[in-house]
Amino acid sequence: MISCPMCGTPMNHHADKLDHGASSAEPHAVDPDLGGVVQETHACPDCGYVLFRKAT
Amino acid sequence: MKPLFIPVILGTPRQGRMSEAVARFMFGEVSNREGVQTELIDIRAIPCPTADAGDAIKDQGFAASVARADALVIVAPEYNHGYPGMMLKHVLDTCLKEYIHKAVGICGVSAGGFGGTRVIQNLLPVMRELGLVTIFWDGNFSNVQDIFDSTGNLLDQAYVKRTDKFLKELIWMARVLRYGRENVPLE
Repeated sequence: MISCPMCGTPMNHHADKLDHGASSAEPHAVDPDLGGVVQETHACPDCGYVLFRKAT
Repeated sequence: MKPLFIPVILGTPRQGRMSEAVARFMFGEVSNREGVQTELIDIRAIPCPTADAGDAIKDQGFAASVARADALVIVAPEYNHGYPGMMLKHVLDTCLKEYIHKAVGICGVSAGGFGGTRVIQNLLPVMRELGLVTIFWDGNFSNVQDIFDSTGNLLDQAYVKRTDKFLKELIWMARVLRYGRENVPLE
């Protein structure tokens, strides 16, 4: 569980988005099975902050 | 309950744009909704260089508005059966994470009788790839030169009822998606 960097509330991981635009800049991060960089999207239920990070 | 934030995007920078009257009408209708805040985002006012893309040219004000948004209303004129590539698509492409699992409704604008149906159809796959969720009501503003007077006042009141249906659906979807973003885990 990720804590919101703005308010500390636990964030909700609600999406994985394939980011083709990031693939050329970060070829090492490309998932070979999916063909792009997978970005996790997390939302804060308290302040609404959105966190986007590469899937690990 | 925290108010929804639903900005209206005026999607063309052209001089003499008839879509401005539509965008201002939609902005007024959204403003009148209880529990909804809005903002009129004029694509013309967004500084967006064309020599690069994505984060490199992202306008922080636009990105912040979209990040705060629960839904978007896009007002797009139909130019040769397509959408305004300059600057609407270019500006939309500067963001990604800001859109995911948010609702969008599209208002097509045309000088002819089809109400921008083709620009709406052409925008749908773009919306999907950006991570937005489209509603099934559209705004179709046909013969736009005839439905507003020279000062931008609406002459055809049928658009009020049509817009009511459009906004009810958009607000419902915005509420559901906000709940989902904040409470429903991917797995």
